[in-house]
Amino acid sequence: MNAVDGSQHYEQSSSEQNPSLLTIILDTNPVAWSLLSGTLSLSKAVASLLVFINAHLACNYTNKVAVVASHCHTAQWLYPTSAQQHLRNVRQAKRRLDDSGPIVNDQLSEPTKRVRINGPKDDSTNGIKLKFNIVQRKPIASSDKYRPFRVVEEELLDNLSKLLSTTGPTGISSNTSTMVAGALTLALSYINRQNSAFAESSGGATNTADSAPPNASSRAAETNDKNLLHSRILIISVSPSHDLAHQYIPIMNSIFACQRLSIPIDICQIPTPNAPSSSTVFLQQASDATKGVYIPLSNATSGGLLQYLMMAFLPTQSSRIHLVLPTRIDVDFRAACFCHRRVVDIGFVCSICLSIFCNPPENGDCLTCGTHLELGDYGGRPMVVPRQKKRKKPRSTLDQSRVSTPTPGPA
Amino acid sequence: MVSDEDYVGGSDDDVDIGASSSRDALAGTRSKSTRANKESSGFEVTRTWENLTEGADGTITGAVEGLLQAGKRQRLLKDTTPLQRGIIRHVILILDLSVAMQEKDLRPTRYHLTIRYASSFVSEFFEQNPISQLGIIGMRDGLAVRISTMSGNPNDHISSLHELRKQEPRGQPSLENALEMARASLFHAPTHGTREVLLVFGALHTADPGDVHLTIASLVKDKIRARVIGLAAQVAICAELVAKTNNGDRSNYTIVLDEQHFRELMMELTTPPITSAQTKSSSSLLMMGFPSRTVETHPSLCACHSRPSREGYLCSRCGSKVCSLPAECPACGLTLILSTHLARSYHHLFPLVNWLEVHWADAWRSSHCFACGRPFPDVPPSERWGDEGEGLSGRYECTVCSRHFCIDCDLFAHEVVHNCPGCQSGRGVGDAAKGDIERGVDAVMEGREERAGLATNGNAKGDKMDTG
Repeated sequence: MNAVDGSQHYEQSSSEQNPSLLTIILDTNPVAWSLLSGTLSLSKAVASLLVFINAHLACNYTNKVAVVASHCHTAQWLYPTSAQQHLRNVRQAKRRLDDSGPIVNDQLSEPTKRVRINGPKDDSTNGIKLKFNIVQRKPIASSDKYRPFRVVEEELLDNLSKLLSTTGPTGISSNTSTMVAGALTLALSYINRQNSAFAESSGGATNTADSAPPNASSRAAETNDKNLLHSRILIISVSPSHDLAHQYIPIMNSIFACQRLSIPIDICQIPTPNAPSSSTVFLQQASDATKGVYIPLSNATSGGLLQYLMMAFLPTQSSRIHLVLPTRIDVDFRAACFCHRRVVDIGFVCSICLSIFCNPPENGDCLTCGTHLELGDYGGRPMVVPRQKKRKKPRSTLDQSRVSTPTPGPA
Repeated sequence: MVSDEDYVGGSDDDVDIGASSSRDALAGTRSKSTRANKESSGFEVTRTWENLTEGADGTITGAVEGLLQAGKRQRLLKDTTPLQRGIIRHVILILDLSVAMQEKDLRPTRYHLTIRYASSFVSEFFEQNPISQLGIIGMRDGLAVRISTMSGNPNDHISSLHELRKQEPRGQPSLENALEMARASLFHAPTHGTREVLLVFGALHTADPGDVHLTIASLVKDKIRARVIGLAAQVAICAELVAKTNNGDRSNYTIVLDEQHFRELMMELTTPPITSAQTKSSSSLLMMGFPSRTVETHPSLCACHSRPSREGYLCSRCGSKVCSLPAECPACGLTLILSTHLARSYHHLFPLVNWLEVHWADAWRSSHCFACGRPFPDVPPSERWGDEGEGLSGRYECTVCSRHFCIDCDLFAHEVVHNCPGCQSGRGVGDAAKGDIERGVDAVMEGREERAGLATNGNAKGDKMDTG
């Protein structure tokens, strides 16, 4: 469209690289991490992740990062610090001020903590009890660090340790999966806000002739524009996929939103040792639909994780054009039927609610919406058209001649 | 605005159209006067400076922001009762390509704007309705011109619309011809899907060879529903068309106010129509194939375009290769889709509930948007709540998870993601926080002892944390 109104040449003026926003969704499902603890502990993974974040921030001074934890019963911001946590901090501070006068509690300005999770060596009741060792580190060590690095590290570790310390055994035992859908939605909302903030700050460079209303399709068009913030999402996934089935629709909704906004979803799949074939089908589809990178780690060690992160997930969209990306060719797109969870090649779909069945349901009533469906004769043998005799007249004469001849019989 | 006499004078070669044409012209003048009334009343409404009131600091920033929010909000509120909708749609888009489209009342011209919006309509339509079919017909020189045939591939339609841009609008429009062609195109559409005609009509008359009323009657018989967007004024024949094909409901006939409104009306049409008992198409069980993607070592020809390619999808029944989905297998006729295409339509079936505006009295519960973390305006003292209006707290609450969001996240969640960030984020910590806040309130209410107790609770938690 820009070619038409001649505004194209205005937009090529800036040679400066656009900032890119990396949103990381860290799967902190305690069950999966406790399974992994033999090879890769969460603290080591987080350390690798911090190195990766620093590398991303170092690529361009305007680069931004955001981290969401997809925990077992909640999805929560790790960086930047979420509003609710902030609120709570403020409230706590107020309360403490009320209680103990003007003495500022040192817990508020907490220095960096180190989170260490030990595996379930002490076998407790359900075998998934976690142990938190919060080691205070001296603030001097990080004082000469590049400030953006330090801010991210402090807030991330602080929030992560808070999140893990508030996780009780009840929360873990009630839900063993992870809230990927919520984390994706949070990440998308944040990206949306950053996008609009960036569009405002860059002086309305996107205002071409058709200054678009802020509805969905125009937004999608805007993100195709080169002058916008490049955003991408990286999911570090440890949970097996079969737990995600109940989040199917929200996950799919988020994937389609990413597709519309052309945000690639990169997946780094860390396999759990007990279930090595736990490839996450939804996440494969997510990365395939959004043209992201899907890499399952072959062996889960901290060094390996960092290398994968740095090699495969660091390049931005603009540089990915020049790279040969690892692609998956065997993405499983087959659907599971709603009645038996059977994976089908050919299925039957209700035209009202789009439920998938492996066989036509009994009485033709849809199991989901209860509508009576006309079945048609699917699965029946095709009717064979009787072959016409070539010449009609000779046949009739033949018949007549046959009739005329007396049939030999017992009678 | 060109008067109706011009159009009628232009169509004097169609002597035989007789009654219907003159009736239309009459209707045109009548509705033109109503439009004039509407315009004058619209002018009254647009005196927005009267709504502005200075805030306490002497600026109008607050009022302007409130108006902006109200505008965004207006676009957002739709009916969210989960209704049965015709998900599988068969739609013919009829575009007016007659001389009336040369008018410049919509900039740059009606013609160019219509084509531009039609292109975005096509892409949005297939975003929203991935398993639907669309065809485009033009009305020009008294004829119906086929612009693109019924297909499920948005690129075909967009490229043929692009071709159209180089041409000029010409001649008279003929509703009858266009509707007959649309009817013929929809004749083979299976009964389980909807049959719809979307008409963008710029002229105020129609030049028909026969009786358009008979055509409308046959549309009704074939269960085709028409929706019309008028660019100039209301025309009686269009109103009749819409009313008769929608069981007397005229709400699907809308007149464009300005460019922005035109776009909104076009985008509204991408939402699948609600099916009622009368308009219900037969429901049936469809056989569909879910093929897997293959990548071959050597390129082979696809069955749909005969182009060599290495990637493709193999039909799950007969094994022919098609290059893109959704498609109908060219060999055996099986509908081939990805399961994700079905999932894309789910948000029409399970819409996200509208979020409510939060009054200042409840606004203390949040200081930041839950989803994006944007800070909300501070709660003013209660004596100033009344004069600032309700929407100004800037908070919108999901009724399910009762978390507060900003207007941008509200729009984004309802129009793009179709998920509530709060509900999807689980209740655990959120509840804890809410409990925390409530306890905080209790503490404020009940005095110091309670707070002390809370503090010890907090310490106890901390102790546990250290020893654990």
